[in-house]
Amino acid sequence: MAKDKSNANDFTGPLRRLLLSVLIFCLIGFFLVWRIDSPRVERFRAHVTDTFVPNLNWAMAPVTGTINLLKDFESYQRLAQQNRELRSELRQMQAWKEAALQLEQENARLLDLNNVRLDPRLTYITGVVLADSGSPFRQSVLINVGARDGLVDGWATMDGIGLVGRISGVADNTARVILLTDASSRIPAIVQPSGQRMIVAGDNSAAPVIDFLENSDQVRPGHRVISSGDGGVFPAGLLIGQVAADPSGKLRVILAADYQRLEFLRVLRHHGTTPVTDTAEIIGPQLPSPEVLQ
Amino acid sequence: MNEQTLTRIWGMRLTFALIVCLVLFFHLLPLETTPQRWVGPDLILAFAFAWSVRRPEYVPAPALAGLFLLADLLLFRPPGLWAMLALLASENLKSRARGLRDGTFANEWLTACILMVFVALAYRVLLMVTLVDLPPYGLSVFELIATMLSYPLVVAVTHGLLGVRKAAPGELDT
Repeated sequence: MAKDKSNANDFTGPLRRLLLSVLIFCLIGFFLVWRIDSPRVERFRAHVTDTFVPNLNWAMAPVTGTINLLKDFESYQRLAQQNRELRSELRQMQAWKEAALQLEQENARLLDLNNVRLDPRLTYITGVVLADSGSPFRQSVLINVGARDGLVDGWATMDGIGLVGRISGVADNTARVILLTDASSRIPAIVQPSGQRMIVAGDNSAAPVIDFLENSDQVRPGHRVISSGDGGVFPAGLLIGQVAADPSGKLRVILAADYQRLEFLRVLRHHGTTPVTDTAEIIGPQLPSPEVLQ
Repeated sequence: MNEQTLTRIWGMRLTFALIVCLVLFFHLLPLETTPQRWVGPDLILAFAFAWSVRRPEYVPAPALAGLFLLADLLLFRPPGLWAMLALLASENLKSRARGLRDGTFANEWLTACILMVFVALAYRVLLMVTLVDLPPYGLSVFELIATMLSYPLVVAVTHGLLGVRKAAPGELDT
């Protein structure tokens, strides 16, 4: 009964300490490798997520559904008020629908007149959101399409209306989408009426900041922000949102995509913009070259 | 060590792994995709501390290291760093477990809180030194406080529901 405990401790102590230092060494080594050679470790991370998360999908889908149902249940209390709001919105929408139909017809006529072929290479794959980033410090979601479906890092992701984020980290069956709200997200964009170029920079808040704007006088709240395709990684002309000013006067973007419920995401296949390789040349009559003149 | 205690130890080790997986599972559910102003507590750390104080043999260092690393990978943190610090803190608690076993709960809570602050501070400092983007300051502090406040609750669940109690004097000697 009265065994000497310190004696037992002496026996296992060094072994335990050795094991612990080996573990600590491995973990810190892993961190340093991540810091030095991030893509390799990120690939490993994508692989781990790929083996782990899809296996949980059978449980995740019903639990998410149930919790969302309960959330909706709370909103039933405001049903009458919501109904009234929806009715007035519907009236406005009908007016818009008329306008849209007329514009669509006009657009079709003009396209026909010009004999325009829309880019057939701009196609998309739709994926279902499997999981979110799991921590409030990062804004990303995991979707159920991956390298198996031909996804490539850097492709744009949209919901029905606006840009949602960018593919970053592709595993076999899953891919991670870094949302525009993530602190590491930077997207080159253009403000529509004035044509000012800028960067939409996420900062872990619901509305990303507008950065590197040339002339902020020409940009007003309400202007449309679309992706510019600068840098060639990202397709141009995708709707991002509207400009808005926060209380301190800083310009931000109210995102067009519905971030409340990201369920289905569209991944746009993008095969890169054609780079301009030759230098500028004057277009004009062919002049004899200097060697010939001499 | 007879057969029954051995199965019990392995059973409890498995239970701990299951708890961690459950916490991760609820973290990963795609419920909230908009940025949030508040954070829940880091339950994995709280559970690891509570179990380390009570029954160090249920949470061996390799298992803790593996589970923390898994959490790092799945929750999109810099892999390895948080795991390393949390492992160090848990091992520190284990070495003090004998002293804490006889003390009051307030004493244990205080020790756990001090270690949580140490982990959070060291994490920030090391991220700063290695020039990694720091998580938002307000959110980190909020998470730390939430974890501290949730510790008694985690202990209650550990003690009451899961039956992980401090070893009675003499129980370890057999």
